[in-house]
Amino acid sequence: MERVRAGDTRALEELYDRHSGFMYSAAMRILGRAADAEEALQEAWVQAWNRADSYDPARGAVAAWLLTLVRSRSIDRLRSRASRQRTEQTLAAIPAPAGIDEVPANAIQRELHARVTAALAELGPQQRTVLELAYFGGLSQTEIAAQLSAPLGTVKSWTRQGLLKLRDLLPEEERV
Amino acid sequence: MSAHRAEHLELCAGLVLGALDDTSRAEIERHLAAGCPECDAELQRLSEGAVLLAASAPPLVPPPALRARVLERVRAEGVSRGAGGRVLPLPSRRPSRVATWGWAAAAALLAVTAATSWQASMRLQAEVETARRQLGEQQRQLAERQQQLDDEKRWSALLEASATRVVDLSLTPQGTAMLRARAIVDPGTRRAIIVFTNFAAPAGSDYQLWALRDGKPESLGLVHADASGRAMVRIADIGDPAHLQAFAVSLEKAGGSHSAGPEGPVVMLGKIGS
Repeated sequence: MERVRAGDTRALEELYDRHSGFMYSAAMRILGRAADAEEALQEAWVQAWNRADSYDPARGAVAAWLLTLVRSRSIDRLRSRASRQRTEQTLAAIPAPAGIDEVPANAIQRELHARVTAALAELGPQQRTVLELAYFGGLSQTEIAAQLSAPLGTVKSWTRQGLLKLRDLLPEEERV
Repeated sequence: MSAHRAEHLELCAGLVLGALDDTSRAEIERHLAAGCPECDAELQRLSEGAVLLAASAPPLVPPPALRARVLERVRAEGVSRGAGGRVLPLPSRRPSRVATWGWAAAAALLAVTAATSWQASMRLQAEVETARRQLGEQQRQLAERQQQLDDEKRWSALLEASATRVVDLSLTPQGTAMLRARAIVDPGTRRAIIVFTNFAAPAGSDYQLWALRDGKPESLGLVHADASGRAMVRIADIGDPAHLQAFAVSLEKAGGSHSAGPEGPVVMLGKIGS
């Protein structure tokens, strides 16, 4: 990251190869369209390049920082799309666009995904939906309450319980 | 400073997911800015959950062609960055705090991937660091031993050097018959070893070794014999051999002479012939 900050594009290539899988997966989950996800990913990398100075190693690893950038770009894009229905579609099963699944995700991605999916399945359906609508759908809790016809207080409490439960479902040694 | 309330914890959860409306967000940000250990700890836990949530996205890899496009775009940006330090503004409708905690949340993702890589690499790094420190310490000790060994070799070489002179110190009338002392001097290296036998000093006294140089005494220190009365004194530089006339041993009060020469009786003397 030091090298990226110093303007070393080779260092950026290395970062790209290591982290773009996770970033792209999150963008695809949020946006649902390969073209949009690619745009978000590209914007995130340009931002990472231009704002390398804002990365503070004391606050966490590079991958975490990159993931935040791409989620932020993705949610912005999602919001700029007028339609809310789009969000619902997004949250439904995402058809993998042609060509995407020709390149297998790396083993780390797949292993983690499998574990997290299993952990999510143990959450109640409402808790899961609330979390997904917020994180991948970019909806506010007020919007989620309206969409689910649930009291706002309930949505708030599901959010917290869901996150804590998800955290607790994964063995402690896998956290830092 | 706003006092911590249970509902702040729920606001933390909404904050971590970037899902608060403006009013709620402002409230929790004010609360956090004032400092709240309970909420900080809660945010840590919630972020870990949020990061796992992020990893629930179906694993995909970006199209290979995108890599080239991204890098090309970055290189183009690199020119302007280098030239004017241009920095893209971070367009964020959920500014500072969300960026911060969203980021913190993402930090946990790292933690999880760590199961296979990051944690392992940190552990490995720590081990390497420890090993390096140990190696450094061992190398230092080895160097020390090597130096000791070299030193010993130099001293023992003295005994074999062809030019070495051996001088047996003779008893003076004040000396007791048991005392034995032998000096081995190598004029070439100016090293000397003096070996003493039966040199257990009487209570309250010490034997002191002297060199006589141009008629003047020079203390070479006290002779500390072991329980059997043996002692050895090594002198790394006895000075110009041409000016060294003799070695002498005096019997002094405990602690040795306080003046430039012997204060007690000289018990042994060994002249160094040329």
